[in-house]
Amino acid sequence: MIIIAIVVGCLIGALIGINMPMISYTYSGYLAIAIIAALDSVFGGIASTLNKNFDLKIFVSGFFGNAILSILLTYLGQKLNVDIYLAAIVVFVGRMFNNLAIIRRYYIDKWTSRKEEKNTTKNQ
Amino acid sequence: MNKKQISITLGIMCLILTLAICVQIRTMNSANSTVSQTLSDNGLRDEVLRIKEKYDNTYRELENAQKKLEEARQSATQNDKNAEAKEQELKENNMLLGKTDVTGDGVEVVLQDATNVETSLNLSEQLIHYSDIQLVVNELKNAGAEAIEVNEQRIVGTSSITCEGNIIKVNGEKIGNPFIIKAIGSPNLLYGALTRVGSILDIVKDYGNKAEIRKVDNIVIKKYSGVLESEYLKEQK
Repeated sequence: MIIIAIVVGCLIGALIGINMPMISYTYSGYLAIAIIAALDSVFGGIASTLNKNFDLKIFVSGFFGNAILSILLTYLGQKLNVDIYLAAIVVFVGRMFNNLAIIRRYYIDKWTSRKEEKNTTKNQ
Repeated sequence: MNKKQISITLGIMCLILTLAICVQIRTMNSANSTVSQTLSDNGLRDEVLRIKEKYDNTYRELENAQKKLEEARQSATQNDKNAEAKEQELKENNMLLGKTDVTGDGVEVVLQDATNVETSLNLSEQLIHYSDIQLVVNELKNAGAEAIEVNEQRIVGTSSITCEGNIIKVNGEKIGNPFIIKAIGSPNLLYGALTRVGSILDIVKDYGNKAEIRKVDNIVIKKYSGVLESEYLKEQK
C-alpha cells in the first residue's frame, strides 16, 4: 500500500513536472537547495524506519521545514553576501551519507546474521 | 494514524519531490550554458533588470507629467491672443528640437547586412558600418530633411552615431541590423538625393549589402527619448 502510493506519487509528480512551466533561472538556486533538504529528510525517514523509531509527524515537518528553512537561509546569505547555501549543502549531504551508512549497515547485519543462522542449522 | 493516511502523505511528498526535481532539471537544461552559475552573478543580473524596470517607470511618469504640463499650458493660454502666439511658437520650436512626436511625408531607407557571404572574402565589407549611417543621415539633412530617426532614435542637435566595437550606438543607445532610417521632408527631393549615381546607397549595394529606399506618406517619427540639458550655455547680451 505504502509502496504503491510512493510509486504513484513519483509518476504523477514527474508527469506534472515535465509539463509544468519552467521557473525563472534566478529562483532555481533556491529550488535546488530545497530539493537537497527534502532528499535528506527522505533518507532520514528510511533510516529511522529501519531503527523502528519512525514518526510521520517528525518526517513531514522535517521535509517541509528543512526545505523552507534552507531557502530562507540561502536568501539571507545572499542579502549578507555570505554563501550560506554552501553550509546547507555540506550539512544535508553529510547527513545523507550518514543515513545511507545506517541503511547499509542494517542490511549487511541482516544478511550476515541470516548466513550464520543457516550455518548453525546445517551444523546441527 | 492508520496506514491509509500514512501512504497518502508519503505519496503527496513524493509527488512534490519529483515535481521539484523535474522542474529543476528542465530549468537547468534550458539555461544558457555561458551564463555563470553563481548566485552573486544572478544578483547582478537581477539588479540590471530591476533598474531597467525602474527607469521605464520613471520615463512613463515623465511622459505623464509632460502631458499634464501641455494641458495646463493650453488651458492657461486659451483666452489670450499674445499667449496663444507664444504657445504656437513654443510648439514649433519643440517640434524642431525633437521634443514632440511628428508626422509628415518623407522617405524610409533600409540598410541591411549582406545575407550572402560568399560574394567577398572581406567580411568587414559585408556589414553596415556606422559611417554608412552617418553618410545617409548627412545626405538626408543636406536634402532638407526636417526630422530624422534611426531605428527609433530621433536625430537631434546633440545626437551622435558612434561605433562601439561590434555595435553601433545612436544617442548612446545600441541599435542593430536592419537599420531603418526615416526622414520627413520633400519626398521627391530626399529620394532623388539618395538615388543619384554614386550615392551612398550605391556604394553600400556595391559591397553586397542591401539598401532600399521608398517614399512613404505620413511617417510618424517619435520624439527624442533623452533629456536635452544645458549647463554651460548662456545667452550673450
